[in-house]
Amino acid sequence: MSYSPDLSFIYFAPTKVVYGVGSVSELPMEVSNLGKRVVLVTDRGICDAGLVDEVRDILGDSLAGIFADVPQDTGMEVCDRGAEYAGSVGADVLVSLGGGSVIDTAKGMSIIMTEGGSLSDFQGMQMLTRPQTPHIVIPTTAGTGSEVTSAAVVLNREQGQKIIIYEYHITPRVAILDRGQMQVAALLAGWAFSNALLGLVHAMAHSIGAVRGIPHGLANGLFLPHVMRFNLEEVPGLTADIAEALGVNIHGMAPLEAGKAGIAAIEALQDRIRLPRRLRDIGVQEEDLKKAAELAMSDGSVVYNPRMVLSSDEVLEVYRKAY
Amino acid sequence: MAKLKVFSDEWCNAWADKIRESKEFPIHNKGWEGDIGCCISKDPKANLPEDKYLYVNFFDGKVLDVRMADKETAENTKFVISGEYIRWKQVARGELDAVKAMMQGKLKLKGNLPYVVKYVKGVQETIKCLVALDSEFPDD
Repeated sequence: MSYSPDLSFIYFAPTKVVYGVGSVSELPMEVSNLGKRVVLVTDRGICDAGLVDEVRDILGDSLAGIFADVPQDTGMEVCDRGAEYAGSVGADVLVSLGGGSVIDTAKGMSIIMTEGGSLSDFQGMQMLTRPQTPHIVIPTTAGTGSEVTSAAVVLNREQGQKIIIYEYHITPRVAILDRGQMQVAALLAGWAFSNALLGLVHAMAHSIGAVRGIPHGLANGLFLPHVMRFNLEEVPGLTADIAEALGVNIHGMAPLEAGKAGIAAIEALQDRIRLPRRLRDIGVQEEDLKKAAELAMSDGSVVYNPRMVLSSDEVLEVYRKAY
Repeated sequence: MAKLKVFSDEWCNAWADKIRESKEFPIHNKGWEGDIGCCISKDPKANLPEDKYLYVNFFDGKVLDVRMADKETAENTKFVISGEYIRWKQVARGELDAVKAMMQGKLKLKGNLPYVVKYVKGVQETIKCLVALDSEFPDD
């Protein structure tokens, strides 16, 4: 493959990755490279599953405290509380153990621990001018990619909207992947979308998550074929690439036809993994859709959708098809 | 016709007029409330010895003000966008997408991001109007 002489890009991927079963044993060395006193950020489910015990033992005396008060959809006030706690125990390093909500909580805490104030004070994009409190991630799920991204998605309960905080300085320093190959897939996806950025799928998932509490991964999976169909005429070739990646023989097909085969392959995958296919089946009410469509128009992810999204009516139409 | 010197009153007025002439701007800016301060860092090598500050104010699809301002005025607006002169020049010449520049940290936005995203097509239209000006930059 040759590259155009006009090609230019920025690829930002500063996170050190430590991979392998048992690699969590590397945690003390990684902590000692970054600071002295750790607050472990996690959630109740992780505590109940017993996953915290091993990390607690490994950290030993460097563990200053555990902040386990992270809900499914983290919020600005959760980050504020976490940072206050971390300050009270004199922490200078954060270790997050959990999924996207836990990781993003630690990212938000890292800002407040360095800059002070409340997370709601930091409205904007790429405002930070210095490194934030160092953060090591041990993801327990394979899906968010947040362990290597510069974004944190945090619910602003006053606005009723998930806010994307996008700052290079909150990118985790280290990701320890201790739980298998799917985590590598998630990490590669995280690097990809942190640089190429997102689109309408995420804007819709964030918004229905804010309105009805639908888990982000579930919503992303459910919306994917619908948004692919919305984008198809704008990017048939890219959609055809997905078909090929999923094992569809697209030889001899026109790009549009191949793209449609890609969408069908995604839907077949949804069926194979028994992913719910309709919003009505996961607790969404029809009256939620209009509000979510309006929220999606102000979600940062919508800007980079390959097909320009012109109005909330267009988004509402996609929601209705997914309903 | 002589080129418009960037950061001059004539340049500001011409930009404001261009936005007023736009048929798209009132559609995409409808409902917007808030002023914007643009902070341009000095670049002596590019013949810009001092920081520059631009004040822009729109309201519900109308242009209220486009003018050069002082630091305090620009930094006390609803939205503050800051960056190096070279980045602003790239934006003003249509060589750099302003939103992409923010994502890449080339420009820094202080303010309510969802609000800006909601009106992003209006923002893009104002930049299109800026690019359409026959501008003379300090280092041209």
